[in-house]
Amino acid sequence: MSDSLKTPLYDEHVKLGGKMVPFAGYALPVQYQDGALKEYTAVREGEAGIFDITHMGQVRVTGSDALRFLQYVTTNDVSKLVDGQVQYSALLNEQGTFIDDITTYKVSDGAYYLCINAANRHKDVAHLQQEAVNFDVEVLDDSDDTTLLALQGAKAQAILQTLVGFDLEEIGYYKFSRGQVGKGWGMVSRTGYTGEDGFEIYLPKVSAVDIWNALIAQGAVPIGLAARDMLRTEMGYALYGHEISDAVTPVEARLMWITKLDKGDFIGKGAVEARKKLGGEKRLIALRLTGRGVPREHYQVFVDGVKSGEVTSGMHSPLAGGGIALAYVKPEHVTDGQLSVEIRGKQVDAERTSSPFVRSHVRK
Amino acid sequence: MSIPVDLKYTKEHEWVRIEGDIATIGVTDHAQEALGDIVYVELPDMGGSFDAGAAFVVVESVKAVSDTYAPVAGEVVEINTLLEIEPEKVNTDPYGVGWLAKVKMSGETVELLSDDDYNTFLEE
Repeated sequence: MSDSLKTPLYDEHVKLGGKMVPFAGYALPVQYQDGALKEYTAVREGEAGIFDITHMGQVRVTGSDALRFLQYVTTNDVSKLVDGQVQYSALLNEQGTFIDDITTYKVSDGAYYLCINAANRHKDVAHLQQEAVNFDVEVLDDSDDTTLLALQGAKAQAILQTLVGFDLEEIGYYKFSRGQVGKGWGMVSRTGYTGEDGFEIYLPKVSAVDIWNALIAQGAVPIGLAARDMLRTEMGYALYGHEISDAVTPVEARLMWITKLDKGDFIGKGAVEARKKLGGEKRLIALRLTGRGVPREHYQVFVDGVKSGEVTSGMHSPLAGGGIALAYVKPEHVTDGQLSVEIRGKQVDAERTSSPFVRSHVRK
Repeated sequence: MSIPVDLKYTKEHEWVRIEGDIATIGVTDHAQEALGDIVYVELPDMGGSFDAGAAFVVVESVKAVSDTYAPVAGEVVEINTLLEIEPEKVNTDPYGVGWLAKVKMSGETVELLSDDDYNTFLEE
């Protein structure tokens, strides 16, 4: 792992007994000493968990054409954002398939941030900078200067409030504020990838260790990658490389709700419209096993005994009480036919369900 | 790292308690720690026959699926159905209530190590 990058918190993870693994070019903890299940429980049923997600990328988009540019390169309607608001969105290519899923933050007219996946950072930045030449806009990769933490759980606000100089109660869901965080400056959004109430905290690198340790001192439990994946899967949240990729459009991935075909032209719009008319060759569904077993990525999904697709993300869910999965099936099987998942050569029955698989506690 | 003195061990990190011709089988403390939180155990069918060293019980943790191997050849005469509702017992009590299955031995075994030899093997 000698060629993995380190976040500012690397030494802290090691001190806490983190089991470090390479992930998206970084060395990150897959879990700490007590294991992924205890971490998952701390977020779902405890006070709060703290995640180092510094590996993710941040792009600053500024200029008089910032809105016009972002309307063109992203799927969601950026004009709907007020200052201090965030939206979930995507970057598509001309074929209408995913380059990445992102969140778009509006600071003010002419100033936006995009939060992008670690694994796609360089691809995204290259794409955005290439498209930017036709607009009066500057696209800057801010990732190396930013530390990003997520604090998620019932007590996240109470814990974080002790460190910030502005009223967190004023920050609604998918809104953000900037101001004093610890001894320095930061940006705090009420967003996250777990389904619990909580925040994502953008900090300059120099603040990282102090804020991390201060949050832990207040009761936040360090959470690794394995638990993070459990939490987002239970919410049915897409992960690039699983539910979304350059092989599917928002039609297949059930992400038409962030794809505003009526907002004007954007990259991939025509292709998505065409795919919407045709219906696509597969569709994402949520399923739960009615028999015993753990559905995992790439396990084949059958309908009435005939192969229909495969699992994109799956797990044993302690709260849902069994195996749950997101999976692609043929469009005609979205509502009809008996589902089963093939596990080690045997068919295990499953039923359609809705996601999130467990109750969400995000503050709406 | 716990290695009870009254058990035999395999290089695949299973333990065996032999009483007469009945072998009780489980995974070692080293194994459960390496596996992490166990969320699912697939026990063999009652009456199933296994050769020594054959794939036996499947143990699933949060992130991975792992095979265990039959330390002894024979027929399955009892399975620990508690693990169907409490698979985490393999983590919390691997030598006690976290046992996997009991086999009526037909004779052949894989190389069985004493606690000292297993300890040495782990140190290598």
